[in-house]
Amino acid sequence: MKVKPVNHAKAAEAFIEDTAHMDFHDERLWDLRQKRDQQMHILPEWQELRARASAIKEHTLANLPEYLEQFEANAKKNGIHVHWAADGAEHNRIVGEILEKHGAKSLIKSKSMVTEECCMREYLEPRGVVVTETDLGERIQQLDDQMPSHIVVPAVHKLIPDVAKIFAKHYHTDPNDDDAQSLAWQQRLAARPVILSADAGMTGGNFVVAETGSFVVCTNEGNADLSATVPGLHIATIGIERLVPRMADMGVFIRMLSRSALGSPITQYTTHFRGPQKGSEMHVVLVDNGRSHRLGMEEFWTSLKCIRCGACMNTCPVYRRSGGLSYGAVYSGPIGAIIDPTFNERKYSTLPFASTMNGSCTNVCPVKINIHDQLYKWRRVLAEHHELPFVKREVMYMAGKLMGQPSLYRAAINSTEVALSTMPRFVLYNWLNPWGKHRELPHPVKQTFHSWYKQNRLKTKKKEGEGA
Amino acid sequence: MQRAEEARSLPGVRMKIGLFIPCYIDAFYPNAGIATLELLEKLGQDVEYPMNQTCCGQPMANSGCNKDAAPAEALFVKNFAKYDAIVMPSGSCTHHVRDNFDAIEQTDEVRHVRENTFELVEFLHDVLKVQDFPWAEFPHKVGLHNSCGTLRALRTASMSELGEPFFSKPMDLLNKVKGISFATPKRPDECCGFGGTFSVTEEAVSAKMGTDKVRDHHQAGAEYIVSADTSCMMHQQGCAERAGVPIRFIHIAEILNGARE
Amino acid sequence: MSTSRDAILTRLRDNRPDPKAHPLPPVARLGDMDNGQARFENSLQILGGQVLERQEGDTLATAIARRFPDSKVICSAVPDFEGTIRIEDLGTPQQAASVDVLVVRSPFGIAEMGSIYLSEAQLHDLNSAAHLTQHIVVILSPKNLTANMHTAYMDRPEFHTANYGVLMSGPSATADIQGVLIRGAQGVRTLSIWWED
Repeated sequence: MKVKPVNHAKAAEAFIEDTAHMDFHDERLWDLRQKRDQQMHILPEWQELRARASAIKEHTLANLPEYLEQFEANAKKNGIHVHWAADGAEHNRIVGEILEKHGAKSLIKSKSMVTEECCMREYLEPRGVVVTETDLGERIQQLDDQMPSHIVVPAVHKLIPDVAKIFAKHYHTDPNDDDAQSLAWQQRLAARPVILSADAGMTGGNFVVAETGSFVVCTNEGNADLSATVPGLHIATIGIERLVPRMADMGVFIRMLSRSALGSPITQYTTHFRGPQKGSEMHVVLVDNGRSHRLGMEEFWTSLKCIRCGACMNTCPVYRRSGGLSYGAVYSGPIGAIIDPTFNERKYSTLPFASTMNGSCTNVCPVKINIHDQLYKWRRVLAEHHELPFVKREVMYMAGKLMGQPSLYRAAINSTEVALSTMPRFVLYNWLNPWGKHRELPHPVKQTFHSWYKQNRLKTKKKEGEGA
Repeated sequence: MQRAEEARSLPGVRMKIGLFIPCYIDAFYPNAGIATLELLEKLGQDVEYPMNQTCCGQPMANSGCNKDAAPAEALFVKNFAKYDAIVMPSGSCTHHVRDNFDAIEQTDEVRHVRENTFELVEFLHDVLKVQDFPWAEFPHKVGLHNSCGTLRALRTASMSELGEPFFSKPMDLLNKVKGISFATPKRPDECCGFGGTFSVTEEAVSAKMGTDKVRDHHQAGAEYIVSADTSCMMHQQGCAERAGVPIRFIHIAEILNGARE
Repeated sequence: MSTSRDAILTRLRDNRPDPKAHPLPPVARLGDMDNGQARFENSLQILGGQVLERQEGDTLATAIARRFPDSKVICSAVPDFEGTIRIEDLGTPQQAASVDVLVVRSPFGIAEMGSIYLSEAQLHDLNSAAHLTQHIVVILSPKNLTANMHTAYMDRPEFHTANYGVLMSGPSATADIQGVLIRGAQGVRTLSIWWED
């Protein structure tokens, strides 16, 4: 059976019906956008930083094989074991083998979108490895058996009572605890012993520096540093697009990453891993999982510039009102809508349409990905690949034909003229009904512009012509 | 043929203008179309409305069905190729013609049409460089809605995301109207959620965005929402009426043409 | 040699855009070049860090005793401060977890961010100690402030030599529960600077 496309519209409708959650979600993310704006205004060089970040990333992607080889050589020199995974399955197998070799049964990890992509937890857990997320938001999502709903703030769609209930169930704490501080403390208390007894630690990597063979991890809670430094084994899973050529390039990115994401100048922790700690082992797994294929997509390869700041999600009025889970994908929001179809065109065919193409995402992107243009281009590609719903294709086909024939078009308009009680049916056909669900229809008018013009201009002009 | 390009440096020149009236203005908001026509005439322009016009092709192209936009685009060129400038009271249609109109072969004629198509506000502001509207008076507090098409594609106003110095072509024009004042919404350039077919395929999100938008303007004290895009206003009006938000809607052409209410 | 490695590299070579069309921009030194103590302290405060209060006659020990009166285990990673235990004697992360206050010296700070840098050199190869301790006191000299992230990455050799190098900008923080900002999530609950000449 064919995969069913994600029904974003339906999930979004359910999200909106829960007013308390919806309003908080919108306000919270809008607040992040406002804070991001404040940071931008502090730096007169903001647009220059964006231009440089974009140029550095584009250069790196165009030279990616060389930079990956350079990174690998330097990392090996530093004592890092480097692995290459063509897809999620290979990544999981590699991680599984490393853990097995060390007899590791417990893995603590910090947030990593790539491991979400690879469905790593689902692979390791049946093989007897207990995987514990240490980022607070990610842990909440893990306990609630949900995907992260946002790439930076994974549980942003939840309110305090939701967290209290989840913690009560798993940590046996007060289900009516209404204090975020106290709930965060519960997480700290629950996490410490797990961290201290873990056999292995895992992180992602925000940036990989070819020149030094190092990778950089940016977090706020310190959980990545704990995951990497407490156990004697550190595995970092990193997408192959995360390269930058030189350490000196990092200034451009670090200055914009957290400012774009949360409106804070920098993440509390910016950690540079260049080799194993004394007496420890360090592994880096470089994951392709479709990226090398995407690099060949002329209209979409620049989406690989993404540094996962989430600014496009925070500014997106559709994302803010539909929630990340409504996208039914690892990557949600505007960036998700242009990346997800590269993983599965049919399943994610609806996502490029979950946008008004207002363009705010493109403007906030620190690496200048033309997100809304790519949404537009994806729509074309999906139509050409026959991934649009039948009704939509038919309506557009009929409308397109009609628009080329003025007399038929005029007849269609005139048949609804005067007693216009619906949208012009030739435009919207039978998708009309949804318009009126939460909105009034436009009011009928006595006369179309066309008819008015005929009466008030053509006739006068004719008369003037006759008089002359 | 008098090119709009050349006319830009020649304020006061009389151009032969083809007027394009989008389908929803034709059918639901003819007053916006009439105001556009009358205003251009008052400003001394030679304006014609080609009777065989239909659509610019945008709904098909935005849905991904670019090939289906070809008949509309071909007809558009046939209707408008002979004019110095093509003017339309719609930002999104202008954006389509200027930036995405590629379902048909790009001949010289097509290029002429694309390069000389203007949204009304930018035409008044940049080409005609209108300095004053002596007939216009609008003693009301208005909230200005810049559609995403005019804001982020046509760039008729500064965008909050870029931190660029403030400018607003529609506000420049409206500031020449006697008695008008402006409300300041909290999220001035947030999209209202119309988005073409998005308004029906994603109706819940669309309506929520529209309702939030009109509430923002109303809470800022706006009596009217004024915009250069009727499609946004058609959607917002529907949301305002359903939610019981007492606010009125008016196209910028109507105010500039001298409407009092 | 992994076959996936070669397959990935081959695919990247086949698919990549023209490298000639995407030159590498020269390294840039941008932004505010103020490397003063006041700028650092202002940034530090934004990120939730603090300057350890220094009253007349204070030594680091008396200042710590006043600021953290309930602390039992005060661990020193510097030669010029005693504490109750030395970092070299901790041995394991499990032992480091009992530390209330860690005193450490940072080789440099970044004025733009209020960040301090620590590596295995300062942490005596027990990197986890910086995160398992409840509180951290960082000795820093205003002479060792660099202006911003560009100058830090361009001028500081540590980024090219240390195996582990962390820029800490205030204490551990989270806002993952309903957007409430909480300082002291998983790592240190407070971060204090002790200025030295």
